[in-house]
Amino acid sequence: MRWLTLYLRSRHVPLALVLSLGLTVVLWSLWSIFSNSPDAGAPMVVLTVLILVTTVAITFAGPDEALERTAALPWWPRRAAHVLAALVLILVLLLATLPTGARFGPAALVLRDAAGLLGLAALGAATIGAIRAWFAPLGWTLAVIVFPAGGGTAGQIITWQTQEPGNRAAAVTAAVLAVAGLVAYALSGPVRPAPAEAAF
Amino acid sequence: MTRVLGIEVRRSAALGTVLILLVAGGILLYAAPQRWAASWMALAMSEREYLVLLWPLALAAGAWQARREHRSHVAELFASTARPRAQRMVPVLGAMAIAAAAAYLLVAAAGLPWIIDTAQYLPARAFVVLAVGVLAMIGGVWLGLAVGRLVPSMVTAPALAVAGIAFLMLLPVATGHRNWLSLVFSPMYGMGQYTDYQTVGGRVSLAQVIWLVAFAVAAAVLLASGGWRTRVAALLPVTVGAALALAVVPRGEFVDNPTDTVAQELVCADGAPRVCVSRVHAGLMSEVVPPARQALAALAKLPDAPTAVHEDTTTYYPAWSPAPQPGVVLADVHVDKYGHLAWPDRFVPKLVIAAMTPVICDDGYDPSATHAAAAYLLDQELVAGWGEWDIIPREVDADAVAMLSGLRKLPGQEAVARIAALRRAAAGCKDLKAALTGSAR
Repeated sequence: MRWLTLYLRSRHVPLALVLSLGLTVVLWSLWSIFSNSPDAGAPMVVLTVLILVTTVAITFAGPDEALERTAALPWWPRRAAHVLAALVLILVLLLATLPTGARFGPAALVLRDAAGLLGLAALGAATIGAIRAWFAPLGWTLAVIVFPAGGGTAGQIITWQTQEPGNRAAAVTAAVLAVAGLVAYALSGPVRPAPAEAAF
Repeated sequence: MTRVLGIEVRRSAALGTVLILLVAGGILLYAAPQRWAASWMALAMSEREYLVLLWPLALAAGAWQARREHRSHVAELFASTARPRAQRMVPVLGAMAIAAAAAYLLVAAAGLPWIIDTAQYLPARAFVVLAVGVLAMIGGVWLGLAVGRLVPSMVTAPALAVAGIAFLMLLPVATGHRNWLSLVFSPMYGMGQYTDYQTVGGRVSLAQVIWLVAFAVAAAVLLASGGWRTRVAALLPVTVGAALALAVVPRGEFVDNPTDTVAQELVCADGAPRVCVSRVHAGLMSEVVPPARQALAALAKLPDAPTAVHEDTTTYYPAWSPAPQPGVVLADVHVDKYGHLAWPDRFVPKLVIAAMTPVICDDGYDPSATHAAAAYLLDQELVAGWGEWDIIPREVDADAVAMLSGLRKLPGQEAVARIAALRRAAAGCKDLKAALTGSAR
């Protein structure tokens, strides 16, 4: 238990939890107040998932990766559990809105986008570092929300975040990103940051 | 100072910023080249519209850079240096401004090779449109720096990016669709193009420049400030800038999409018969003239045949169309995504059909009859989509084929007389099919 507490604290998990909960409440309230429809629009849902993914992505690295690697612990199950817990957190936060007056759904869309974007963020953490991990999910998704057009299979793959929940090409893309991110992050962990950034 | 700036450019997030903005801008640009392939102005305006993504990214880049001091735990060390804070901020402001401006200009330059051989008309306004975009980028990256320093959190940069995009997309709604108000505060607003003659009003650009300069100054003050007193002082340029900009911006119905009348003016090719296109399409002259003359030659068999082809420079917002002239066929000139004449193989039949199409009639327009007549004059066969632009039917028009073979069975003079009758019927809004088959006589 003590190990878990220290681990969570070293990864800013309390901050991320408070931020994700707060952001969800803010977006939920905004939709409740300003919209006549109980179902949040698809761009709003995608944006919410994106914000939550960016928030939990800050927990993908501790203060000193080099030091942690010396620990005689198998890291990969812990890292995998970390990513899966982040996914569960996002799903719980958004699916909890389904019985309320401002629904952030459908569940299939939330699951696909959360898994895919989280995989992308994990992939980012494993390649360019946890503090830059939000680059790819954010840039890609914002572009797709602004320019949602996408016909043909290539277009559907490029704009997978905003496709219909039942779209197969989008689901496959999200699954590939999710699995690739999970595997890459679990096996290799976050890259060691440059010395100047070591203790962020 | 130059040396310090050079070091800052190399060591800060400037290079990464240029790279990210260039990649994002390049992808956006080349995802839809038909939006800007028509002219330089269209390129400048499209890039301004892509500020919807580039500007939030600039905000995020600034906020990202501002966390550097916080990350490396040197704030106390720097605070002990015997230099005012404002002076220490100048290199980072300079480096990030250079990065944002360079990225924006490089994105524009990325569009350059695509249209350099087809686009000719380069109005000075295009540079103004570009400059406003550069200013917006500098203001964005500076505001990012200021916010990133005030709130040095890991989520500041992504949150700013999302907030920036939400601001740009929701501003027209927030202003109650008051176009002039959205135009001042959103550099991407009003950049959608309905025609190739569209431009940005001079006073609109002036108002935008005033606002964006004030905005950038306020962001710089916010970054350089050491205490709350100077931070509040940053409100001054914002207020003054907004007031001035609102005083300058014109208000009216079409302030967000005015027409560049110089671009719309006709320029004519040498030689006869006369073929004229709008100035903005002058680069396509060599592609338009031969088919236009071919169409005129085919039409010359008719009595009272048209003798000139002009581009149809009609605009819908605001509604305007060229005055009708006898003997002039109006041609739609569309530009494809490569900057060349779109559907060149359909240009000739389309022109011949246009010469025999009624101006505006309640009913009586019969495409089949006109197509048959045009095919006869051009001595061509009808194929699916013949004479159409964008929407192409799959089947050959059976009515038209029947009328064409009917025409071909007639002696030449009689057929031409019937086509002339069809043309008169078109001008008088009468039944075209009856005129062509001779049943009207």
